[in-house]
Amino acid sequence: MSNTPIIEMENVSIRYGRGPEVLRNINLSLQRGSFHYLTGKSGAGKTSLLSMMYLAQKPSKGSVSVFGNNVNFANRNALAMFRRRIGVVFQDFRLLEHSSAFDNVALPLRVCGMDEREIRKRVTELLKWVEIDRSTSAITSTLSGGEKQRVAIARAVINRPDVLLADEPTGNVDNDIAPKLMKLFVELNKLGTTVVIATHNENLIKEFRYPTIHLKNHSLSIINPEDGDEYAEI
Amino acid sequence: MLRSNTMRHRELPLSADSSNLFLKVMISIAVFLFAVTLAGVLSINSMLVNWNSSILGSLTVQIIPVNGVDKLKAKNETIVQEQRAVALLEAMPETQKVTPLTDAQLEQLLKPWLGDDVDLSNLPMPRLIDVKLKKGAEINFMTLAEKLATVAPQASLDNHKLWLNKLINFAGGLKMLALSILVLVIGITSGAIFYSTQTSLGLHKDIIEILHLLGAKDTYIAQQYAAKTALLGFWGGIVGVLFAIPTIFVIAHLAQQIEGGIINEAHLSWGGWTAILCLPLFSMLVAMQTAYYTVKRTLEKMM
Ligand SMILES: Nc1ncnc2c1ncn2[C@@H]1O[C@H](COP(=O)(O)OP(=O)(O)O)[C@@H](O)[C@H]1O
Ligand SMILES: [Mg+2]
Repeated sequence: MSNTPIIEMENVSIRYGRGPEVLRNINLSLQRGSFHYLTGKSGAGKTSLLSMMYLAQKPSKGSVSVFGNNVNFANRNALAMFRRRIGVVFQDFRLLEHSSAFDNVALPLRVCGMDEREIRKRVTELLKWVEIDRSTSAITSTLSGGEKQRVAIARAVINRPDVLLADEPTGNVDNDIAPKLMKLFVELNKLGTTVVIATHNENLIKEFRYPTIHLKNHSLSIINPEDGDEYAEI
Repeated sequence: MLRSNTMRHRELPLSADSSNLFLKVMISIAVFLFAVTLAGVLSINSMLVNWNSSILGSLTVQIIPVNGVDKLKAKNETIVQEQRAVALLEAMPETQKVTPLTDAQLEQLLKPWLGDDVDLSNLPMPRLIDVKLKKGAEINFMTLAEKLATVAPQASLDNHKLWLNKLINFAGGLKMLALSILVLVIGITSGAIFYSTQTSLGLHKDIIEILHLLGAKDTYIAQQYAAKTALLGFWGGIVGVLFAIPTIFVIAHLAQQIEGGIINEAHLSWGGWTAILCLPLFSMLVAMQTAYYTVKRTLEKMM
């Protein structure tokens, strides 16, 4: 059971409507506790690949399994239970713009019915850590891009997920906070969370060395840091 | 069903939906119509109970004497018809006892009107049949009158009761009509709630998608809709009932001015008033259930 991949894709293809296949015949198996970057040019399909992992879309072909369950055969409530174990930082944040930073971060805990006192404790603590404590009750739409991104990251990790998927999470933050957020991901990974981070940030890739899932020409290849040249090429 | 913490935190800004005012007005009108119609149904019911009890229990069939030149032949014919009528009445499952009045009994009845000296045997005497009905048995007077006419053309039923029976049939029809209006009102209101809820779901698609992606079950979203719509149902119901009460009084006042005292028998019991006062709770429940069901059903079609 412990050898079962946390996320597994078999012969997965995805297309939008009648358009061409964005990804073709993808095979990927992520082990529990692994850490991967996800790279590829803009439009290569990074968001598409992640969205199948966080169960926003089903593949047009092939099968996706999370925690050993084929999502094609899971019912709606089962999907909800899987999603609770997957923290996501969306490329476009997807925050509730009219709610406060606090309520946004509290959301994953509220949907699973956690006690409100416990929620206040956890959320306050985490917001302090991502340096949003000054404006916790501010309406999200009034926050800066960098602040929104940190709220989005806090929301993704608040429920101590088994899997953390981050879609270009350091794109909008200042360069000095990016390493701090990376350290958060690394810490979570050390505690057992499986992590996939889509990024263009070469500094990060060089500083924190982990294998990379590289998307090119609708297919996928895994590049390890030891591979030297190729790794540097990304 | 609604946990306190989900009650306090509603991620969906449903109270700003523009369809809310429409729904509230719609529910108010629906509850108003429902209350007035319900008052009608309950009044008709109490009237029917009164009328029914006055025609229950017994009835009298009269055989009007056959007129003929041959007096004896005519009298025999009258008696034959009486016997046929008695046979028919006895064969009915609703009758308990059928008693044709004897000549002596008839004379006894008529003496006060005609005096002692009249020789009744020379007069064309009507025959009377007293029918006792079984407890709780109901008879359709119209069909009975028709059946009697085929075996005894001279038979006639108590006029007042026959007329009352027509009135009962009419009121019964009116009651069915009112009941179907009640069903229709509930149907139309639920339909309006169904469509505005669906529209609202489309409007808040982005937020709902976020909630789903964070692991919210459909019930989490459905509860927020149920809570909001329950409030609309309740306040709409209060407004509707507030308008309905004076309307019911005005209608009752007008009805009492009709001559004949028929409508006097129509009155709203305390139970009836309680039912009308409870309508806001009823509309709240219907609104809540409809919204909940709509959300569950609509979301099931999404991934
Ligand atoms: N919702 C969508 N509808 C239609 N096409 C889409 C949609 N999302 C992505 N695409 C297309 O799929 C391809 C891959 O997009 P995406 O997965 O966002 O790539 P990346 O995240 O690597 O930039 C692009 O050509 C994009 O236009
Ligand atoms: Mg992308």
